[in-house]
Amino acid sequence: MTQEILAPLDGKVFQLKIKAGDNVEEDQEILVIEAMKMETPIFVPCDGTIREVRVSEGDEVKENDVLAIIDE
Amino acid sequence: MRPYFEKMDEFGHTLKKGRIKSTEQNLNSIQKIEEEVAVEVNRVKLAGFPEEKINARGQMTVWQRLEYLVDSGTWCPLHTLYNPMNNEEGTTNVIDGIGKISGKWAVIIGFDNKVMAGAWLPGQSENILRVTDLSKRLNIPLVWLVNCSGAKLTEQEKFYANRRGAGTPFFRHAELEQLGIPVLAGIYGTNPAGGGYQSISPTILFAHKDCNIAVGGVGIVSGMAPKGKFNLDAAEEIIERAKQFRAKPPGSVSIHYDETGFFRYVFEDETEVLDGLKDYMKDMPAYPPKFYRVAEPKEPRFPIDDVYRLIPLNPKRVYDFDEVLARLVDSSEHMEFRPDYGPEVYAGLCKIDGFLVACIGNRQQYLGRNYPEYADYPGMGGKLYRQGLIKMNEFVTLCGRDRIPIVWLQDSTGLDVGDAAEKAELLGLAQGLVYSIQQTDIPMMLLLLRKGTASAHYLMGGPTANRHNAFTLGTAASEIYVMHGETAAVATYSRRLVKEKEAGRPLEPVIEKMNKLAKDYHEKSRPLFCAKNGLVDEIVPLGDLRKYLEAFAGAAYQNPKSICPQHHLILPRIIKG
Repeated sequence: MTQEILAPLDGKVFQLKIKAGDNVEEDQEILVIEAMKMETPIFVPCDGTIREVRVSEGDEVKENDVLAIIDE
Repeated sequence: MRPYFEKMDEFGHTLKKGRIKSTEQNLNSIQKIEEEVAVEVNRVKLAGFPEEKINARGQMTVWQRLEYLVDSGTWCPLHTLYNPMNNEEGTTNVIDGIGKISGKWAVIIGFDNKVMAGAWLPGQSENILRVTDLSKRLNIPLVWLVNCSGAKLTEQEKFYANRRGAGTPFFRHAELEQLGIPVLAGIYGTNPAGGGYQSISPTILFAHKDCNIAVGGVGIVSGMAPKGKFNLDAAEEIIERAKQFRAKPPGSVSIHYDETGFFRYVFEDETEVLDGLKDYMKDMPAYPPKFYRVAEPKEPRFPIDDVYRLIPLNPKRVYDFDEVLARLVDSSEHMEFRPDYGPEVYAGLCKIDGFLVACIGNRQQYLGRNYPEYADYPGMGGKLYRQGLIKMNEFVTLCGRDRIPIVWLQDSTGLDVGDAAEKAELLGLAQGLVYSIQQTDIPMMLLLLRKGTASAHYLMGGPTANRHNAFTLGTAASEIYVMHGETAAVATYSRRLVKEKEAGRPLEPVIEKMNKLAKDYHEKSRPLFCAKNGLVDEIVPLGDLRKYLEAFAGAAYQNPKSICPQHHLILPRIIKG
């Protein structure tokens, strides 16, 4: 099963901690969005493998943009 | 009210392996700071003469006395690193905290007899006033271990006089007694002058056989009748008189037990003095815990050490406040007040050791595009907006009505600013919260989880609310400043930058000053700085936070000044609807 990981808010990708093909564990931090002077970490909802990363560090993202796709 | 409190709503989640993996560095960084704090605490413990030397004189150290006096596992130290006047001794020379004696909570304080035989030092009276205030706020006995050689005479100008100087605690003792709060004192060693008043001002005096208390001690009595200068004859006279008085110092047991009767009891052994205090503490005014408990005490459903992974050391990093709270309160259960209103503020009823407490904290996450409702920008947790302020005003007011002690859990960047915020009445609502707190007359404590910033640090039960704030705890992640250092640098130098730019001068010197100011702010906001200067009353390892919460709740409910019967509580009914 595939899940999209969405941006919860507008902001800039401050840190990217994964790449396609990485195995990740439920609730692992995969990237950080900077907005309104604060850093919001993004966690994966399940164990799986990162199929695709759609952002790079420094990218501006909008709320609900797809950040990455994970295969459970 | 059993149906309300026996089983409340569960909250919180077990940490998953991914989160544990991601937060290993945060845990290590926080523990490293805690180790640095522990080193400083140990330095205070080792101040002055070594324990062996004091023991060789037939005396116990203050730490040994505390160990013997306080019920095992209940000691919650406060002000350990407090040293606002930067004394070379590294301490204000009193050791204090909350603990149980014979099963009853008390505020306990003792002079460190290893350091100048327990002398008065700069900053000490302010420390003692914090302690007497604590006893007053919690309405629990104050227990003294007096062993005070009087003022450190070479620095008397720093503490002898003034509105909150070294004599002020004697007035506070009288105030506590007039309020019906007993002050018990175990008295050891030589206590002249200030030490004499430290000894005589408590309510009941338990004396060790070798102690003495006096208006003036050997040094003063030997040096009376000044002649305008010192010479050899004067020195010989001083030596003779000093020998005479040292053999039999003024105010010994033979005077103050046999003649004046000031000492209620005299004991042969040091430990018997402490046994006497323990015996009296059994009978101190206190309700049994069952009188006020709303449920059986239970541990949180999640380990407290999770908090090392949940609170980011990085002050810019958002986190889930509710998960932190779930690690602190009984059964990880609560009744949340107005969950759909003012989302940046958590307010709810929780249980600590079976006692009902109110918790108020700053949620940290993004608040969505439509909040705050008065602005065209989105809100971010940690900041306070109109609804959050209104919610806190309501909640605090109801807690006052229901006599529910409040635990504030602060991590705030301050209030929203700008004309939209002004139009939304934030300034008035903020001072309204001050008013709401001030009219409650209930004990509060502050746990400064991370940031104490701007007016939010005042408003959310901070130490400035000092008729209500019993004590303030900091953590390894705590930092306190009027604003972030970089913000302060911009506020201070932005106009200067403009001027220099317009004049065609280089900007580097101003930039250098800005960086220096930001660095200075950082250094003067760290946990050790906050503890030393009294901005917090203790830096507590995250793993010990619940212990302090239990001490606060237990002490607040031990002998409260007024009662709201459980079946008259209105707040749980409002929450239930």
